[in-house]
Amino acid sequence: MSQLRTYTIMFVVLMVFSTTQAMLEFTGLLEQYYWAIFGVIMVLSTIKAVVVAGWYQHLRYEPRSVTYMIASGVLAVVALTTAAAYSIL
Amino acid sequence: MSEHAEGSHLPPRSTVKRWLVTTNHKDVGILYIVTALFFLVFGGILALLIRTQMWSPGGTILSGMGYNQAVTGHGLLMVFWFISPFAFGLANYVVPIQIGAEDLAFPRLNALSYWMYLFSGLLFGSSYFLGSSFQGGWTLYAPLNVPTYIPDVAAVGSVAAILALLLFVASVTISSVNFLTTMYRMRAKGLRMRDLPLFSLSIVLTVWMMLFAFAALLAALIILSADNIFGTTYFANEAGGAMLWTHLFWFFGHPEVYIVFFPALGIMAETFQTFSGKRLVGRKWFILAMVLVALQSFVVWMHHMFLTGINLPVKTIFMATTIGISLPFDLMMFALIYTMIKGKVRFTVPFLWNLGAVILFIVGGITGVFLGAVVLDYQFRGTYWVVAHFHYVMVGGATAMFGGLYYWFPKMTGKMYDRKLGMANFLTYFVGFNLLYFPMFVVWETPRRVFEYSEAFTPWHRVATVGAFLLASSFLIMFYNLAKSIYAGDPAPDNPWEYGSTIEWSIPSPPPLENFPKGIPSYTTGKLEFLSEDEAIEQSDRVSSSGHAAPAAADGGTVTATEGALATSAEPALEAGHEDDHVDHASWWPVTLSLAGFVTFLGLAGIQFEYFLWPGLFAISFFIAYLGIEGARRDGFASIHALMLGLGAAGFLVVLQLLSIDKGGLGAAIDGASPYFYVTTLGAFMGTASLISMGWESFNVPEPVLAERWPFAAVGKWKLGMWVFLASDVILFGAFIGSYLFMRVANGWTDWHHLIPEAHVTMPGLINTYLLLASSFAVVVALEAAKHEKRKQLIGWLFLTFALGIGFLINKGIEWQHLAHLHTEAFPEGWFLTTNVASSTFFLTTGLHGAHVIVGLLITLFLIVRAWTGAYMGEEASGTVEYFGLYWHFVDIVWLFLFPLFYIV
Repeated sequence: MSQLRTYTIMFVVLMVFSTTQAMLEFTGLLEQYYWAIFGVIMVLSTIKAVVVAGWYQHLRYEPRSVTYMIASGVLAVVALTTAAAYSIL
Repeated sequence: MSEHAEGSHLPPRSTVKRWLVTTNHKDVGILYIVTALFFLVFGGILALLIRTQMWSPGGTILSGMGYNQAVTGHGLLMVFWFISPFAFGLANYVVPIQIGAEDLAFPRLNALSYWMYLFSGLLFGSSYFLGSSFQGGWTLYAPLNVPTYIPDVAAVGSVAAILALLLFVASVTISSVNFLTTMYRMRAKGLRMRDLPLFSLSIVLTVWMMLFAFAALLAALIILSADNIFGTTYFANEAGGAMLWTHLFWFFGHPEVYIVFFPALGIMAETFQTFSGKRLVGRKWFILAMVLVALQSFVVWMHHMFLTGINLPVKTIFMATTIGISLPFDLMMFALIYTMIKGKVRFTVPFLWNLGAVILFIVGGITGVFLGAVVLDYQFRGTYWVVAHFHYVMVGGATAMFGGLYYWFPKMTGKMYDRKLGMANFLTYFVGFNLLYFPMFVVWETPRRVFEYSEAFTPWHRVATVGAFLLASSFLIMFYNLAKSIYAGDPAPDNPWEYGSTIEWSIPSPPPLENFPKGIPSYTTGKLEFLSEDEAIEQSDRVSSSGHAAPAAADGGTVTATEGALATSAEPALEAGHEDDHVDHASWWPVTLSLAGFVTFLGLAGIQFEYFLWPGLFAISFFIAYLGIEGARRDGFASIHALMLGLGAAGFLVVLQLLSIDKGGLGAAIDGASPYFYVTTLGAFMGTASLISMGWESFNVPEPVLAERWPFAAVGKWKLGMWVFLASDVILFGAFIGSYLFMRVANGWTDWHHLIPEAHVTMPGLINTYLLLASSFAVVVALEAAKHEKRKQLIGWLFLTFALGIGFLINKGIEWQHLAHLHTEAFPEGWFLTTNVASSTFFLTTGLHGAHVIVGLLITLFLIVRAWTGAYMGEEASGTVEYFGLYWHFVDIVWLFLFPLFYIV
């Protein structure tokens, strides 16, 4: 169970980050600095996703090719969303 | 056929049962080919109806609605149910052999893909008998695809057509996962990706495009189904609904053009090599060009939208990318032409078809460049120029595939086709094709999708109609030729082509069940050899110690005119114990599961919204009870089985009681339910039983001892399969989240808040985030317990995962109930699926995620029941828990984005 400690630390980090995201809304900071706080919240979500993928899904121990494959999917939807949204601006 | 083949539990091919239970890639390939040809005839008859209608301006035999159905059905059948599946019939048969594998990585999933494909097509066919099929064109453009614009008579049939597409996409996704896993894990030793035969190489690129493109279509179809069944308002939204559909559809639709065409390119390249006796000129550049097109295919979709309201800068960008994509194709065409010039061409039947395909594709390609230019597209869009262009491209691709059928027919059947009939077939086809489609360029001003046109165009349309019937008659020659040859054709040698150099030509015609009777194929010395197991292991060790194998030549490189020279050793090749590696090749569950899918979707096509949930709830209860029954039968009775049976039975009664309360009594519930409710429930029960039985079935297909596995050498096939599936799920959820963001931009980012009630607060989302994160933690600790063979801990952590997941669903249920029953000034009728576009995006996206959670929980129950009797203990056996964990964590990751997007910002 040597990994257990790492998993527990990651779990705590994930819970803290989630609470932080909610606190940014509860405290009214989001309303006050909407786009800046929006960015912070999304960055926190991205970090959380990387933590879950990296440690819980063990992606960091797999060959990089697996990461590239998943990253390609993410890139494709980001491109689709960005280009589609831009097309109607 | 080898001894092993006869003893592998498959009935003989002369029996119907064989074709129902087979999982062998060659059988499945033949099933795909025959079924695709059936759908070709189906779509072709609709085409003849269209051309008959076009004999005179204003039409002849069809009503307006009949014509619309014919046009729509023809497009959908040909694009989805004929061309790609036909290519994948050939791929199913040929690719495993060309890469040196005995079968695909997951044979049962391969059979499942086929049966889902067949039943999806039958479901589409059934839409014609449900009042009327969909009438809005194969692109299903909004708003013609939403209830307001669908005639009442077509309400059920249209949804059936949409659900048929959904089932088809599910089949494609499973197939994509299977092919990618196979091609990255099961190549003959020494066979690098770049050295794959060109047909196989074209297939691997096709499958990558399919994996991503079809996931976007899946998202679009799920949303469309929700708009039609639940009444969500995505595509009816005035601010951006129609645009959203076109973006999603064409993000899939343009790669689809290459998905259709790439296998044809691969066949052209192979046949040009074989029949010119010359390795493809510029082979490396040809491959690079294909890779480039595969990538570019995802950045050109908006050229289908030049006449929509997208802005001018984005049109300009997409014009440039579109013109750009023609350049790699130029290179490929020149490579094919130069190969002919440099070699000595043999005008065989397969070559003629492929030469014809090149000519047709060049015409189609050049005329397509016009459409890539914004200004010209303004003129050509919606005219017969487009119709002619894409038929030259798509049917041009099909032409190469017919050539491929003739090319591999001797290998598949062990019989030669009749050459004279083959020539007559090609000539009739080629003349008919050009008579049909070329006049459309001449009278290009004819408006598309209607049967009204200028009187002056009549002669040209009549020529086209004559051409259509000539083209149709060519298939009668083809079917006669192939059928006659199967029974009375000359025996085909192993290699009927003088310069056939890919691996399939070095094995018997037809190949034995496991393909390679001479031994294990290997390319470690730079040429094809067949090794005994001992030799193969020895050679593998040698390669490992020296780093790399010599460059292989899987096609065209070491051209040889003598088939015997291809093989070097080794009879008897395979050890007697090898048979034990293949426990069974037969399974009933792919066909029953697919039939269940057909029945369920047929029911869903007409189910009333208020009854939608109940078949699913009954099926979940049945699932739990059946786990107990099947577990006791397979693993021996244990207390967990009694618990499951009891839980399932209790659940069933509770659901029945709830239904009764909801409908004001059981009698009222029965009276109020339409037949579609019972059909859906029946299908859900059949699917549940099939799924569980399939999960328990002993079906061991071990990975080959020796294989080239770059770049996934360190990832087992099951894990790789799961990761590939998750990559497609990234696109699915990404498209859902992207749709939400798009609609929010279209409706005004911050104005969106006015569409949401104040009661929709952050806290339920935060609680669910905690629950899901905790469940992810529980799963990963469960895996550790399994690895360390701690059974009770494994069961305990899995139970905790289950409990947390249930907590997530209960919390969500409470939140949904609260929102649905609001009575505020802004939302007097509550806030639910149909209220507005914001509620639609919220409930559908989080609902899709919730469905993933439910599936995960059912798998957790399955794992608990199996772990109870000792499964999954140890480093290797714990793999199943790990693969489930990958899925569960992914569901968690998705929520990590849904939480801020739907609850905070």
